[in-house]
Amino acid sequence: MKAVSAETKVELGELGEARIEAPGQHQATVRRLLRLRWGLGAAAILLLIVLSAVLAPVIAPHDPLAVNIRHRLAPPAWMDGGSAQHLLGTDQVGRDLLSRMIYGGRVSLVVGVAAVILSATIGVLLGLGAGYFGGRTDWLIMTGVNVMLTFPFVLLALAVIAVLGPSLINMIIVLGVAGWPIYARVVRAETMAIREREFVLAGRALGMSHARIVFRQIAPNLVSAIVVIATLQVAQVIILESFLSFLGLGIQPPTPAWGNMLGEGRVYMLNSWWIATFPGLAIFVTTLVINLMGNSLRDWLDPHMKL
Amino acid sequence: MRRYLTRQLVQLVVVILGISLLAFTILHVLGDPVLLLLPQNAGKEEFERYRHLLGLDQPLYVQYWKFLSRAVLGDFGKSWYADTPAFRLVVERMPPTIYLTFAGLLVALLIALPLGILAALRRHSWVDSLCTAVAVAGQATPLFWLGIMLIIVFAVRLKVLPASGYGTWQHFLLPSFCLGAALAPITMRLVRSGVIEVMNMEFIKTARAKGVAEPMVVVKHAFRNACIPVITVLGLQFGQLLGGAIITETVFAWPGVATLTVESIRNQDFPVVQCAVVMLALVIVVVNLLVDVAVAMIDPRIRAGA
Amino acid sequence: MGRAVALGFAWLLGLALLPPADAGAQTKDDTVVYAIQSDMQNWDPPNSVLRESIILGYHVFDHLAARDLKTGKVAPALALSWKNLDETTWEVKLRPNVKFHDGSKFSAKDVKASFDRVLNPENKLTARGNHTKIKSVEIVDDLTVRFKTDGAYPLFVERLSALVMQSEKAIKEKGHEWMQENPVGTGPYKLVKWNKKQDHLMVRNDDYWGPKPAFKYVRVRIIPEQATQIAELMSGGVDVIKAVPPDQMDVINKSGQARTSTSPILRTAFLQLDQAGRTGKNPFQDKRVRQAANLAVDIDGIIKHVLNGLGDRTATVINPMAFGFDPNVKPYKQDAAAAKKLLADAGYPSGFEVGFLTTAPIVEPALPQTSEAISADLAKVGIKTKKRYVGEVGPYVNLVRDSKADPMFEWSWGYYSIFDADAILYDVMRCTEPYAYYCNKALDDLIIQGRSTLDQKKRAEVYAQAQKLLLDDAAYLYKWGLRGVWGISNRIDYEAPRDEIDRMFLATPRKK
Repeated sequence: MKAVSAETKVELGELGEARIEAPGQHQATVRRLLRLRWGLGAAAILLLIVLSAVLAPVIAPHDPLAVNIRHRLAPPAWMDGGSAQHLLGTDQVGRDLLSRMIYGGRVSLVVGVAAVILSATIGVLLGLGAGYFGGRTDWLIMTGVNVMLTFPFVLLALAVIAVLGPSLINMIIVLGVAGWPIYARVVRAETMAIREREFVLAGRALGMSHARIVFRQIAPNLVSAIVVIATLQVAQVIILESFLSFLGLGIQPPTPAWGNMLGEGRVYMLNSWWIATFPGLAIFVTTLVINLMGNSLRDWLDPHMKL
Repeated sequence: MRRYLTRQLVQLVVVILGISLLAFTILHVLGDPVLLLLPQNAGKEEFERYRHLLGLDQPLYVQYWKFLSRAVLGDFGKSWYADTPAFRLVVERMPPTIYLTFAGLLVALLIALPLGILAALRRHSWVDSLCTAVAVAGQATPLFWLGIMLIIVFAVRLKVLPASGYGTWQHFLLPSFCLGAALAPITMRLVRSGVIEVMNMEFIKTARAKGVAEPMVVVKHAFRNACIPVITVLGLQFGQLLGGAIITETVFAWPGVATLTVESIRNQDFPVVQCAVVMLALVIVVVNLLVDVAVAMIDPRIRAGA
Repeated sequence: MGRAVALGFAWLLGLALLPPADAGAQTKDDTVVYAIQSDMQNWDPPNSVLRESIILGYHVFDHLAARDLKTGKVAPALALSWKNLDETTWEVKLRPNVKFHDGSKFSAKDVKASFDRVLNPENKLTARGNHTKIKSVEIVDDLTVRFKTDGAYPLFVERLSALVMQSEKAIKEKGHEWMQENPVGTGPYKLVKWNKKQDHLMVRNDDYWGPKPAFKYVRVRIIPEQATQIAELMSGGVDVIKAVPPDQMDVINKSGQARTSTSPILRTAFLQLDQAGRTGKNPFQDKRVRQAANLAVDIDGIIKHVLNGLGDRTATVINPMAFGFDPNVKPYKQDAAAAKKLLADAGYPSGFEVGFLTTAPIVEPALPQTSEAISADLAKVGIKTKKRYVGEVGPYVNLVRDSKADPMFEWSWGYYSIFDADAILYDVMRCTEPYAYYCNKALDDLIIQGRSTLDQKKRAEVYAQAQKLLLDDAAYLYKWGLRGVWGISNRIDYEAPRDEIDRMFLATPRKK
């Protein structure tokens, strides 16, 4: 069993726990199955969330943008003053909270997935390049990785968005561009390890082009690692997006996003608490299930992977 | 050892240069400073004059060189908003941020170390599962949410701690707890896995075989060696810590560099933003270097080899 | 070796936990704490446009005249009396035995120095525009000053309350730079310390000529977030906060720790519509479109439901408390059908989309909610708004000034606390003024007429005409006069000031 490079271990450790299992222990298998159960449950909930986001126009009881000042700050249905019309109550201009939550999920998921796809693409390509070609390319790319990883990415995101202006596209670009280093690092380490393996050397001897070797032989071995990292990163991006929107530098109201709903509702925490609490819960639950699912994915794809 | 240190120093310089380039690019290429500086109804000639004054009509690499050469001497220009040197503003606000970051780190360690070790030693038991569950839940909680809840509970409802601000040790409690609690989950899991890895190693089995008492095994041998990956990762996490500090500072109105930067970004006060970004990077890089040195000193593998 | 490193780290961490405890020398009982949302840039009031500068300036400096909160009129302060000798000359008698904080005596030379400094165009002080009608200041004797004005200047007395008296010694000997951080005034408090963007500490001036403040110290804390301000008020960290959102009033009142106090204030809110075309060609250049916008919105409903009644409907931009307000000019009544018809007549049968620049609720409470409600009403007649948000006051004001706003944008005006129609008409409605997006020669003529005579009756007639014009032409989308809401701790007695200028020197501890 090859040892995964220390860097990779630490890398993946940053995302979750570094799992070291001695092979063959009975308890390990049991634990793996238990873990899988959590993961499947989490995946089911995530599926629900995704479905509700996709089917938003169908299942949302009201128009999330419909202002109705005569019914503003209505509490949730089970409280005094609440009504079945607005199950989770209304916000500060009378919009239905439940509908806004459902539509808000769309934003979070879209930003999460899009940004991660962007990060992964950039990161994997750069990592492959660095690992495969080595030398100057490697040095250049790794310096870039170090620079970006050193820096609290929140600050960079703030600065760029402040200059470019807040919008959905800008957020995806910023979050996507800032997330690539982690893929690059992991992919590079693995590429370097694989590149000296026999089948690769054989391929080279046979005269295969670099591109073919990289994409046909090396890349497939990386898929598990990439998938795990990507999944866990979606959760991180969702939290970051909500923070930026909370600061007013993300999705702008009136478009509903869990982050800006939290921000707008913050001043109402002491009386109309539902406005901020439910979006906060939504962020929590979504992040939680993604993390659980990611952990399980890692266990399932390769439980003996020293990630 | 010396080669290792030199290599790290060189990396440090390179990274700082990279960050300064990044900061410069973002602010100069993506934004137009002159538009923000000019007073009432300035005409076209005023625009051109200011552009020339600020050196903005010169090619970018010249501007960057000028920026760099001045920055090395501590001159980041004057804040456009407050008319004081940007460097002074940033340095004045550094201590609260550093204190908060370290306090947060301490809290994180206080929570994570015992729990992580406990979970590692009682692997696969309900203790372990509970700790892991709490850690996963903790990682999912948005930091700013936690901060707001803490303020409501402890400051508004219970009135035992101040809601915001800086000055006494009581002001430290909520923010550092918030930051520490946010970092604790991942730290705990790292400690746990670090201890597990070490516990499985040969020398532990040797110690046990020799009849060394279990607590001794844990403390003397396992813990010392588990420190290495933990410290390494914590060092890498310092950047994340600072990121968390930014969020914490915003919620608690903490007078640190993070709130200064957010404000300056909002006011489009670019010299201050630039200075803050570079100074923060400097701090992070220096801390990373110190961590690397510390690890190098502890880890015999590095001492002997590279 | 490892132990040494561990010890080293422990030491570092320990060091980090001993920050300088700046608990301050003052105890709670002798200090009143006031919160503001953003810090001033300097302690030189004539060199700042921010309201915070005016407010804090009132604590450390005095003016020749100051508003009496009970009568609402301008009353003597550093000046004991004034009279005009002829249409363009005013003579002011000064108060004797007044000392600056540095010990020097206040006299006519300080008045002249203060005015000369502001009026000198080379100094580029921001307050200059307020006093340009003053041509010169002459010293008659130690306690008498004569002002010569450029034509009749009916606002002379009001504007005596708009310039702080600074020490001639400081101006001449210490210079401009020093004065930005070191205020030398004659006021009830002296500045002790200024931690930029964090807080200010002021101590009572025991040699003050006027009534002595009850609290020995005033601490001004800068707390940008409203939610944090409210949390601080309710946990006892702050005694006075302003611009409380109407929705949070019940929380504060139920807390037992603090209460709210409201007062109509001079500040008037409205949405500017770009009739002058400063942002380019836009539908609001057509009078019918502007009228439609005014007809579309249920302003009364918004005041009732969103502001919880805390607003006074204005027909135009003139506030009911300002001189020149004409109650016979009635505001638009909501009529969506009429609005749609006007839009169709103007060539927009299916409406149009337009940019809408918005900002944070720093001076105008519940601004995001009221603007949302207005947008919703506009959308119902076909005017779809596309919001653009700029949260900071400085950049927002700059955008407006540089013609970079949107065809519709949020705006409010505090009149510089001058209770006179001219104080808004000149700056916000006169063609080519930096903050005016309306251009109408007939109105400009009326504005000039209004400020060119000392006859109050004539002025009232001119302003009545101006208001009719403003209403018929639907110059802007009119909203309301604000009601300020203050949050006040139950440990002090303090009343909401109707000129928006908080005076901590009037706060007294509540008897237990």
